[in-house]
Amino acid sequence: MAVVEGFLVATLLLSCLASTSYGVTFSSLQKTLVVSASNQQGKVLKGGEGNITITWSYNNSFPAGTDSAYKTVKVKLCYAPISQQDRAWRKTVDNLEKDKTCQHNIVSRPYSPSNNKFTWSVERDVPTATYFIRAYAYNSADEEVAFGQNTDAHKTTNLFQVEAISGRHASLDIASICFSAFSIVSLFGFFFLEKRKAKSAEKK
Amino acid sequence: MADTEGSPGSSMHGVTGREPVLAFSVASPTVPTDTTAKFDLPVDSEHKAKKFKLFSFANPHMRTFHLSWISFFTCFVSTFAAAPLVPIIRDNLNLTKGDIGNAGVASVSGSIFSRLAMGAVCDLLGPRYGCAFVIMLSAPTVFCMSFVSDAAGYIAVRFMIGFSLATFVSCQYWMSTMFNTKIIGLVNGTAAGWGNMGGGATQLLMPLLYEIIRRAGSTPFTAWRIAFFIPGWLHVIMGILVLNLGQDLPDGNLGALQKKGDVTKDKFNKILWYAVTNYRTWIFVLLYGYSMGVELSTDNVIAEYFYDRFDLKLHTAGVIAATFGMANLLARPFGGFASDYSARKFGMRGRLWTLWILQTLGGVFCILLGRANSLPFAVTNMIIFSIGAQAACGATFGIIPFVSRRSLGIISGLTGAGGNFGSGLTQLIFFTSSKYSTATGLTYMGFMICACTLPVTLVHFPQWGSMFLPPTKDVVKGSEEHYYAAEWDDDEKLKGMHQNSLKFAENSKSERGRRVASAPTPPNTTPNYV
Repeated sequence: MAVVEGFLVATLLLSCLASTSYGVTFSSLQKTLVVSASNQQGKVLKGGEGNITITWSYNNSFPAGTDSAYKTVKVKLCYAPISQQDRAWRKTVDNLEKDKTCQHNIVSRPYSPSNNKFTWSVERDVPTATYFIRAYAYNSADEEVAFGQNTDAHKTTNLFQVEAISGRHASLDIASICFSAFSIVSLFGFFFLEKRKAKSAEKK
Repeated sequence: MADTEGSPGSSMHGVTGREPVLAFSVASPTVPTDTTAKFDLPVDSEHKAKKFKLFSFANPHMRTFHLSWISFFTCFVSTFAAAPLVPIIRDNLNLTKGDIGNAGVASVSGSIFSRLAMGAVCDLLGPRYGCAFVIMLSAPTVFCMSFVSDAAGYIAVRFMIGFSLATFVSCQYWMSTMFNTKIIGLVNGTAAGWGNMGGGATQLLMPLLYEIIRRAGSTPFTAWRIAFFIPGWLHVIMGILVLNLGQDLPDGNLGALQKKGDVTKDKFNKILWYAVTNYRTWIFVLLYGYSMGVELSTDNVIAEYFYDRFDLKLHTAGVIAATFGMANLLARPFGGFASDYSARKFGMRGRLWTLWILQTLGGVFCILLGRANSLPFAVTNMIIFSIGAQAACGATFGIIPFVSRRSLGIISGLTGAGGNFGSGLTQLIFFTSSKYSTATGLTYMGFMICACTLPVTLVHFPQWGSMFLPPTKDVVKGSEEHYYAAEWDDDEKLKGMHQNSLKFAENSKSERGRRVASAPTPPNTTPNYV
């Protein structure tokens, strides 16, 4: 009986702890991954057309065994500070559960210390902005434990730009003009028709 | 009555203020029925319906009601159609918070001017063409969303779509040609409230359309553009229905009928003068800016707020945002009902307190909405805020008919414009700059609501008092006749132009509350020839 009670108390305490630990913070992560991307300076990637090759590997200058907990690596497309200005929906916060810096997933791979390469073609729903690449390493509990990015700590170097698709189509434009014309023509057509009917009714 | 047909304010003439808000019909012999007329509903001598039969589509009265409120609803849908899709649009067009805020301001500003012009259009062409013109000429502006590629285009198109809210005026004008004045309060209130629901329905409709189009294979940045075609088609369809099924007057269309009676039109500049120099007008303009105005502002920001703050899916945020606008179905009529109920016991003082309580309640829960950190609290606070704000809108129009009899139309119009102006101003101050997060903006908006509702304490009627002060003891100045007859100068009184005002004054004695029976008849105010 005492064992059951003790078990219940322990579960209660643990569940309290679990709910209060609200997520990993970015500042607690170590930059143990080296990430580089193939973007050329000044070249703008086009949504739906351009592509970028990303390589990442473990930085061996860290003590051996640091990467023992790493299970998967997720590479993400992240907004540079200039694209976060006046846009609170892309804000950087330390609590990674609330952080909105990296909103687009590029690829997810099991962890391996070297020989990681991926060519990503820019998808058609990526907005026009300035970006950098960041890779998070996750443990088996799917929590972030380390990261790497292709830019410096202040996110000022090696940034690249993506130009999104406009979303416009010639067929949409034409349909839009047709329906607008229909609306105007039918309105004035009706108006003048009724006026004519009223005039001919008066004459009778 | 040989009334000044079509002149400003004539749509509200005959509103005595004694109509209970939930009056569904007015019986003979209060208003005699014209038994020679062959309509589906009992009608009065002008062939206006005496009964409001909600689920009928019979020509012409109830059909007009439905055509009218659905047209107004459609315009609300298209004006606020962008709001729930902003999370997608802001990425497509690379918008900043400032751009989104400015577009919100633009969407409510256009109608300030179009509503003023609409009154004249209804006078010239009739409400049927007024409605059809606005709704069909604004259809191209809705279709224009497919061309938009940057912030400037987005703001411009939202501004142009906003012009369509002028259908409010055609809706109310058209109702007044079809329904007897004793039930016009309920009819107009229902039509206005149900039209406003469009702002809520669109938050459900647009994300749903977007989802369906995306699943059909479209990319996000194209899908939202295609989704805008649906409100555009609704405009065209409603315009065609209005033109084909509607008629201006119970007996036919404006062009085909001869104008009845003497058109001793009241002078516009006189009516304007008495509206503008009555301080109560401006207090209600301010107040309506913080009941209807905040409702419009919230329609614009709430879906994006829930999407960002609570990490919801687009259509979940839309569902929550929709409940805000849909509360209009009952909340606005409830406000009118509460105003009437309090007037029965406490007269005008009761109406003023009811308005203050409802609007301040809305303000308090707006503050709490901004500060809520968990989703259930946020939704609860939002719902109570919506009921408070929308009921306050209904309660405001429970008082407006008493502010002036001669200038009622213009005062109603100014109040309505004040609503849009308040919305634009609030969005500009709190939801456009990056200085405040949207949550902080909502909290500050709540404080502003509470502050801007305080001036209602200053509204004083000499014959009925105010929230804190009793009516004046002076027997002459404390009569309803004196207040309403003061809007006419001696020349006009000699011509007998103030007769309707005197009739109205007599009926408005109900605003004394329980004191009606004990009111002494002031000497020398009732002319012999009345």
